[in-house]
Amino acid sequence: MYRLLVLLAVPLWAQTPQDRQLNLDSFEKVWTTIRDKHWEKNPGGLDWQAIHAEFRPKVEQAKNIDEVRGLLKEMLSRLHQTHFGIFPATVYEEVGAAGDLDAVGDGSTGIDLRVLDGQAVVTRVDPGSPAERAGVKPGWAVKLANGVNLQAAASALAADASIPELISTRALLARIGGPVGGKVQITFLDGAGAEAKRELALAAPRGQMSSFGNLPETPVWFESKLIGAAGAGRIGSVGYVRFNYFLDLQRVMESFGGAVKACQDCAGMIVDLRGNPGGIGAMAMGMAGYFLDMPGLRLGTMYMRDAQLNFAVNPRFPSFAGPLAILLDACSASTSEILAGGLQDLHRARIFGTRSAAAALPSVIERLPNGDGFQYAVGNYVSEGGKPLEGEGVKPDVEIKLTRAALLAGRDAVVDAALSWIEKDGTGKAAK
Amino acid sequence: MNRERLERRLVLGALAVAAIFLPAVPAFSADAPTPAPEAILDRFVEVTGGQAAYQKRKTEVVHGTIEFAAVGLKGTMVEYFEEPGKFYMAMDLAGVGKIESGLTGGVAWENSVLQGARLKTGEEKAQAIREADMNNFSHWREVYPKAESAGEEVVDGEPCYKVVLTPAEGKPETMYFEKKSGLMRKTALVAASQLGDIAAESISAEYRRFEDILAPAKITEKVAGQEFTITIDSMQANQEIPAEKFALPEEVKALLARQKN
Repeated sequence: MYRLLVLLAVPLWAQTPQDRQLNLDSFEKVWTTIRDKHWEKNPGGLDWQAIHAEFRPKVEQAKNIDEVRGLLKEMLSRLHQTHFGIFPATVYEEVGAAGDLDAVGDGSTGIDLRVLDGQAVVTRVDPGSPAERAGVKPGWAVKLANGVNLQAAASALAADASIPELISTRALLARIGGPVGGKVQITFLDGAGAEAKRELALAAPRGQMSSFGNLPETPVWFESKLIGAAGAGRIGSVGYVRFNYFLDLQRVMESFGGAVKACQDCAGMIVDLRGNPGGIGAMAMGMAGYFLDMPGLRLGTMYMRDAQLNFAVNPRFPSFAGPLAILLDACSASTSEILAGGLQDLHRARIFGTRSAAAALPSVIERLPNGDGFQYAVGNYVSEGGKPLEGEGVKPDVEIKLTRAALLAGRDAVVDAALSWIEKDGTGKAAK
Repeated sequence: MNRERLERRLVLGALAVAAIFLPAVPAFSADAPTPAPEAILDRFVEVTGGQAAYQKRKTEVVHGTIEFAAVGLKGTMVEYFEEPGKFYMAMDLAGVGKIESGLTGGVAWENSVLQGARLKTGEEKAQAIREADMNNFSHWREVYPKAESAGEEVVDGEPCYKVVLTPAEGKPETMYFEKKSGLMRKTALVAASQLGDIAAESISAEYRRFEDILAPAKITEKVAGQEFTITIDSMQANQEIPAEKFALPEEVKALLARQKN
């Protein structure tokens, strides 16, 4: 509870000379980073030096970190390019990490969650995980985790529009994670609203550990199956593919191609990218090739300071020509958005779920000297239809939100909507 | 990650100069006016081996490594050349898998687990054909109908002559030849690629003899804000290369079949 109080607290003290210097250093770091790393030499078409001249004196006069944060946000807002943001240090304090939201350990209970109607709700339980063995069900709400009131924290995070849902979800997930071998005490609210207390072991995360260059080893899983009214394994079924990262390139690409090949007689395919934060951008092009049979198409264009890259697609065979549904949510980011947005613009896929994270690029989040977080993008990505995904995200054709009631009933409303479209309305080409 | 074509282009920019080292080639006077581009290029051919060496080279096999140090990616590369007009390259990067490209029977192609197979056309195909010519500098006047001197510039502390070469089809390429040695030190070009036209810069270093050849053993590339290094471990000429090395992959054959239908 004390962390929530910290989250909502208003500083009541004046800043010390040391704080003042840290705030000035933070201003300089933000301004210099934009000058040096923004994809436009004149960021946002602005005279960036003049911006410095305007804001530096204001930061010098600021009375506390809140005023500094407000000034930095105002400066960044001049870019008119979202995905540039300042996060209060309390976001980091909320997860109890020194700075990196992901640096809380690999251990997993097997629970995925989202904030639904201001509550942290279990949306998925990994098969064979400690949570499944303990009887945790999708739809249960997380009330307490190791004594911290996640219900209140979820409500507070959801109420702060300046914090992207991707960030707040990660912060909440970090609360139920930790080192492998550890344990977490969670108090859930079950379908009847009764408290259900569980002590869950933190097991090795689902998937195979995969490395790529300097990136830390990451657990990657891939699943594919046939679902739908026609029944698994029968002609007319719907192919369903889901994976947690665009990483482990060779295995995931081969598995994806194998899933498409096995689905030649399917009534449709569903690619579920909910919760997928992205990875290797080029994998979006490689996967799109299984759904496009014309050469010369592209998903979009990435603009960087030194180059402009077309995300071109090579048709791959055997391809799948039937109806294609892609599922997104606010935690679908980067490569997920590039794939979904491009295929949507090419009228090849119909998108179901909620608007994606609007983080199409591998944007960077760094700690500032004063402790706040600073997020910035190093490029701009424009989908084939002309939409900049950065800051805009992919808007679903059919907006469907998960609900706690449906999850408790064992239903996934987003999958159901996609299945319904494929089985009743799918025409092989997504409608505009 | 889709830079194999650029890597090929730039590797060839250095390796195709292979020839027998002839130390008796006269150097240009340091304070002399900039020589004609023809003289700079002919001298380059001579200092790296000479026309006779080019003429007797019919095949070439190159083994090396490639490293993207900043992102921690490493891999191996192998290239096969056979006159006339046969080429195959495979690069195997940890975590990425094999990326292949080639030229056989006038078909320029590339193939990878990442992006599948495709055929190169237009300027990109012309570029591939130029790169597959292992002896292209021995007849550079045909490969680059236009050669212009662009003054002098210092590269890595060495004064160099700057020459702009324009191929029959494609964009001009700027090459820098060391005044003292006549060796090529740098190439700057805009490569045609599926991703678009991409500026690339290549620094050649550590020239050494490979059999009768003087060629750079280390090539550093800068492409789209990324840098990688190619190290050549071996380069063998006139080895017999099995025909299957140049066979089109099944995926490429399938694309050709679709084109006919």
